[in-house]
Amino acid sequence: MTSTAPPPSTPPSPTPPPPPVWPPANSSVVARHLSKSFGALTAVSDISFAIQPGVTALLGPNGAGKSTLIRLICGLTAPTAGSIEVAGGNPRIDAVARGRIGLVPQQDGVFEREQALDVVALAAVLSGMDNPTKRAREALEIVELDPDIARPLGTFSKGMRQRVKIAQAIIHEPTVLMLDEPLNGLDPRQRRQMTELFAQLGTGNRTVLVSSHVLEEVERFGSDVLVIAHGRMAAQGDFRAIRDLMDDQPMQIRVKCERAREVAGRLVSGGVVKGIEITGDAELEVITTDARRFRLEIGSICQKLNSRITEIKPLDDDLESVFRYLVGKGP
Amino acid sequence: MTTPQYSPPAAPEAIPDNPPRVKPIVALGGMYRLLLRQQLTKGRVLLALVMGALGILVCTIIARESEIVDVVPVVEFLSVFALGLAIPILSLVLASSSLGHLVEDETLVYLWLRPAPRWILALSAYLASLTVALPSTVVPFSIAAWVGLEGDTSGTLALAYATALAVVAYCGIFVFIGLILRRSLIWGLLYVFIWEFFVARAGQGAARLSINTYPSSLLSRLTEVELPLAERSMTAAITVPPVVAVIAVGLTAWQLNRANVA
Repeated sequence: MTSTAPPPSTPPSPTPPPPPVWPPANSSVVARHLSKSFGALTAVSDISFAIQPGVTALLGPNGAGKSTLIRLICGLTAPTAGSIEVAGGNPRIDAVARGRIGLVPQQDGVFEREQALDVVALAAVLSGMDNPTKRAREALEIVELDPDIARPLGTFSKGMRQRVKIAQAIIHEPTVLMLDEPLNGLDPRQRRQMTELFAQLGTGNRTVLVSSHVLEEVERFGSDVLVIAHGRMAAQGDFRAIRDLMDDQPMQIRVKCERAREVAGRLVSGGVVKGIEITGDAELEVITTDARRFRLEIGSICQKLNSRITEIKPLDDDLESVFRYLVGKGP
Repeated sequence: MTTPQYSPPAAPEAIPDNPPRVKPIVALGGMYRLLLRQQLTKGRVLLALVMGALGILVCTIIARESEIVDVVPVVEFLSVFALGLAIPILSLVLASSSLGHLVEDETLVYLWLRPAPRWILALSAYLASLTVALPSTVVPFSIAAWVGLEGDTSGTLALAYATALAVVAYCGIFVFIGLILRRSLIWGLLYVFIWEFFVARAGQGAARLSINTYPSSLLSRLTEVELPLAERSMTAAITVPPVVAVIAVGLTAWQLNRANVA
């Protein structure tokens, strides 16, 4: 008779963290290894991302592949590789998924001989909406266009055409709204109003993806960005969080505090900063690669020196700076 | 203009399972009306009027030159001018622009992205071009036949039937060509002159693959005037052009499904 030794007891191990779920359950746009080539030119290369409801800005330098990506998301062109899912379906073949998309395309082309109300009402008709003319009037009023303008679109200014394009895109209350350079041609007041509109449209369960090169205005849409450069994904998420993660890019921070010179000395001796400049009696600018440690240290130093801090302000965590760093044009 | 209240549409709380579905007949009507309005330009109407007037003028001259009613020269002229030249060219100008113009000015996206089946867009484009092409060819060339044949109803009707059949087929083909080819007018003219006029007249085998032979055969059989390479049976003459149109609309829908839309 042989006795079998009990299996050695394994030491209890901590429960491993669950693998991150990707894509998140509430994603309305999911791209998996998406690529698009035009002959030898690769416009979009192996991009994967998921976009949740809210406003996300699609950023990238000219020729980065932004418009191609928007066309892929809308199903207007087939990917060379990978897949795209919008509101649970492939818009290229799924009419229900297409019905959930609103698109403001980049190109200026409109039905030149049609009137604005007719074009927007047709968009409502083709989306299966009731009362298309009433809805078209409401949509045109939202974009501040008079529905009763009895002129063909061919006589409209660029800004007026742009607003017609926005009206036809929002008339069916899409779940996913894609806006490719939607502020082109608008005057400053209209830009502000449309920016507010896009931000408001991004509330609730609607996803708004805005491609724009005017970073100052993009910043007003919200803080979520999807940055592509040379057809590849450069970053996705809250741009300030992205900036914090960019350890390789020193961060410039302005500090307003009493006894600035002494504080600067302590910061240098503590090795927290890579550079420091005293810019005033009670103001200094530092360069650091570890913003988190710097914030801890500055508080501690000022406490010890009995120095009152009135401002700590990062100088290069605005969207433009983050964008420059990401696309390789950093200062 | 009054300043509107700022009230964007409410965001849905959850993605609806069944967003509104457009009824095919409603989508067809909407697209058809839009595309029809796009078809009616001054240039195209002028071209139709000039072609029709030319046909009527020549038939009038033929009728005056002959002391008796001679069917043969009138039918031969209309076979060449109307069926061989004016109808294909007019159909080309109208039908190739139906979707081709939307591709060129990048407005196709506004129809393509809507949740309607693509065959509806293809059919709308075809019907819109047919709506303009049919009256602008059947009416003037029937008048031309009636004038040339000095009121002969059967000859006039024969020409009207043949014209209608030709338009039905050509419009289908040219809607498709307009969608798939840039500079579709040039390619269409090359097709009309090289294939329909030259290659198809080389022999019976090639003639079977031309559109012109079917309406010409119908005209020939109904008027009992012998026309070159118009030797298709009555059944073939009547059925092939509509079948060609159905296939062309199907191909257009298929192409719309796989198109890269700007």
